[in-house]
Amino acid sequence: MAITRVSRAFKDISLSFVPHPVTKDLPILKNESAIRRSIRNLVETIPTERFFNSLLGSEVRSSLFDFVDYGTAVVIQDQIRTTINNFEPRVSNVRVDVEPQPDQNTFEVTVIFDIIGQEFPTQEFTFILEATR
Amino acid sequence: MPFTKFTNLDFDQIKASIKEYLRANSNFTDFDFEGSNFSVLIDTLAYNTYITAFNANMVVNESFLDSATLRENVVSLARNIGYTPRSRTAAKAQVTVTVPTTSTSPTLTLQAGLVCVGTTDETSYIFSIPENISTTIKNGQAVFGTQDEPINVYQGTFLTKQFVVDGSLDQRFILENSFIDTSTIVVYVKGPADSGLGREYELAKNIVGINPTSEIYF
Repeated sequence: MAITRVSRAFKDISLSFVPHPVTKDLPILKNESAIRRSIRNLVETIPTERFFNSLLGSEVRSSLFDFVDYGTAVVIQDQIRTTINNFEPRVSNVRVDVEPQPDQNTFEVTVIFDIIGQEFPTQEFTFILEATR
Repeated sequence: MPFTKFTNLDFDQIKASIKEYLRANSNFTDFDFEGSNFSVLIDTLAYNTYITAFNANMVVNESFLDSATLRENVVSLARNIGYTPRSRTAAKAQVTVTVPTTSTSPTLTLQAGLVCVGTTDETSYIFSIPENISTTIKNGQAVFGTQDEPINVYQGTFLTKQFVVDGSLDQRFILENSFIDTSTIVVYVKGPADSGLGREYELAKNIVGINPTSEIYF
């Protein structure tokens, strides 16, 4: 009989710090929500931004001022995939799609992944990358 | 690494210590993953602890003469045990000066300040005296110093600094020029009834024989 590894549930704090309307507890992120947030944090972190861990993060920010086309999208896609593979050990089968939206000057990023050790279906979430200044 | 080990000074050790604590005492599990929100909080805590530990370490080091490295702290600690730091020292020359004069005055005075300029290797050096020197005129000549007791001239510029005493107990008289040769300092205190430069105050090197009316500086 094959051994099935099941990891503990993932539980993270939410930085929104909006208290629960009834219990007044601080919000928490569980399992897939926690991992989604983690991936977004990794993508949005600029390398050298984190103390004593200069490699953490991705260089997508520097690509946001390039032409909004498929060439730049491929670069961003590669950076996001590398970052997730390097710094997020809880996911596997990572697929990243980056869709340029020249009219809005943004990139729509879709990340698809499986969570290791948990009985969850394949996860998919989308976020927008936009140069803010 | 036990959480009670308080001697950690490295950021990584402090962070590992916080994680160990959370592993045993928290419902949260994501602190082990660098991308998590919890990791941001841990980084902030660890960085804060790191800075505090570093500052505490520096403060303790600077509190002892053996380990202090900043000059002002070494000077402060040395002052507590009665040591006055040496200043820069001006080059000194011993000379005699002969001045032919037709003056009818019985004496001639060499004013404090620049007295001569020396030259060597195409470079000029100015020499000064810190106090007035007077001598008598004999046979139309004023001779300052003798072969046995020449006068001392010091390389550098003679400077004066005046302060007005405001009567407050904590008034300090600070000479801000860091190139001063402190062995040449001369202090005069002039009251309303005094004439000229006022009364000369002596450098006090210890408290033996000092009383409330002693005219000293230190």
